Amino acid sequence: MAKIYLNQIAHGRSGDKGDTSNVCVFAKDPKDYELIKQQVTPEKVKAYFGDMVKGEVTRYEVPSLNGFNFVMKHALGGGATHSLRLDSLGKSMGSAFLRMKIDYPDDAE
Amino acid sequence: MDKVIIGGGQGFWGDSNDAAIHMVHTAPLDYMACDYLAELTLSIMARQKIKNPAAGFARDFLGLYKACGEEAFRKNIGILTNAGGMNIEGCVDGIRQIAEEKGMHGLKIGYVTGDDLTADIPRLLAEGVDFKNIDDVGDFNEIKDKIFNANVYFGHEPTLACLEQGANVVITGRSTDSALFLAPCMHKMGWAPNDWNNLARGIMAGHLLECGGQGAGGNYDYGWRDVPRMDELGFPIAELTPDTFTITKAPDCGGIICEQSCKEQFLYEVHDPANYITPDVVVDISNATLTQNGENRVLVGNVKGKPRPDTLKLSIGYHAGFKVAGMLSFAWPDAYEKAQYAAEIIMKKMKRKGLQYEDIRIDYIGLNALHLDVAEIDPKEVKDLNEVVLRIAIRTKTKEECAKIVPEFAPLQLNGPPGASFFGGRAHIQEVIGLWPTLIPRDALHLKSNILEIK
Repeated sequence: MAKIYLNQIAHGRSGDKGDTSNVCVFAKDPKDYELIKQQVTPEKVKAYFGDMVKGEVTRYEVPSLNGFNFVMKHALGGGATHSLRLDSLGKSMGSAFLRMKIDYPDDAE
Repeated sequence: MDKVIIGGGQGFWGDSNDAAIHMVHTAPLDYMACDYLAELTLSIMARQKIKNPAAGFARDFLGLYKACGEEAFRKNIGILTNAGGMNIEGCVDGIRQIAEEKGMHGLKIGYVTGDDLTADIPRLLAEGVDFKNIDDVGDFNEIKDKIFNANVYFGHEPTLACLEQGANVVITGRSTDSALFLAPCMHKMGWAPNDWNNLARGIMAGHLLECGGQGAGGNYDYGWRDVPRMDELGFPIAELTPDTFTITKAPDCGGIICEQSCKEQFLYEVHDPANYITPDVVVDISNATLTQNGENRVLVGNVKGKPRPDTLKLSIGYHAGFKVAGMLSFAWPDAYEKAQYAAEIIMKKMKRKGLQYEDIRIDYIGLNALHLDVAEIDPKEVKDLNEVVLRIAIRTKTKEECAKIVPEFAPLQLNGPPGASFFGGRAHIQEVIGLWPTLIPRDALHLKSNILEIK
């Protein structure tokens, strides 16, 4: 079992609505969809982001696109212009998300 | 022919005009829709209009129209935009002037008024509308005297009405981005307002196009290095027939249309994919498919629609205080340690001056200002950082509080740890605009579709 960055097997994009950030995540290879589903749970995402995401995390599955949509509330430091973050719209939330480390089986080539 | 071809000409207020002009020149378009409004844009426009009654709309659209409006008119390409913002008439007048200068006789400018409900709030409150925040935070009484604007996100109806009266250009305020695309699809294809599956296809065409370049290889995580000619990035184009829905782009331009590029835009800013709520239709893309169908052509399948919601979203912008961010740069050796020390000095001074803030952030650009808590910080690498920029941002109730910290950055060039460099001039204090999203009944809104013809 190797630890890898999620971005090695997935790609995605982040967007914003008020203080809610959404990150869509797609398996680069359809065979990794199930692995992502098992490991990248909303609970794990919430724990990973810690104080950065203050609200609930919901995961929606879209198997026909080998993808997921993660909706994270109170995740942008207040949203709109309340936010003091350099990246107040969370354009880099996608890459932050995909920086999460996951376990990847050695035999899965 | 039973087909509609529509292009996305703008992704936001401030976007490049190049791709829009190129697609009018080279693509067999029926329509081009240009989205200018993000969540905060109308509040910013409302503030501009207070200072200057002639402002308050996306003036950039006039530049775009000057560059390709005449050609679009000649080729019978309809142009739709929400560039009207908070000053629809101002935008219409700008287009009228351009059309008259260029002798575009017979041009019909359609425009939609009535989405600004700012003045109607007291009446609606009296009628029992509760203005409950859909994000379930705050008390409306605390913001109701600080409102800049209150605009309803409306659907296809008034834009379609303009097209039915022969409009060549339609200018709106807070039409949803996607309705600017749906309305012309309905007009050309004759879709009924309760043909939910077709309406959902039109909305998703809009969704894939409304962010301009982001739908054609811009901001593309999967393979940004492989996007051809990003300096000439084309924007996406949708082709819809009764049976097919294809995303493509104009000939002879940069960018990429592939499954992965379409996927990244497909779920962008969507919440529940089975219930993507718009004023026109509730879209279900939870089983949708994207299939490569030729070079730079992707087929979109299995988009479903459900009946539209009974309520409309009203977005209220209100004054929420002030904020400011100051910065100082530091170089090797020990850049991070020096920057941290400078932050400590500034905050000690601020404590002595009694600074009252609502929120504060101290970040180090080059180290953790974007990924924040999930940035990986290796102490050994940090020790040898070439450079780092200290950034302190505060949000306060009054402008005076923000003003306390503004002059404290530059002096650290001489009075702080070595090598501090101040750049960009003194920081500007910004007004903070809060957003209050709420739902209102459809009948609270009375939109009007107007036509102005160039004689």
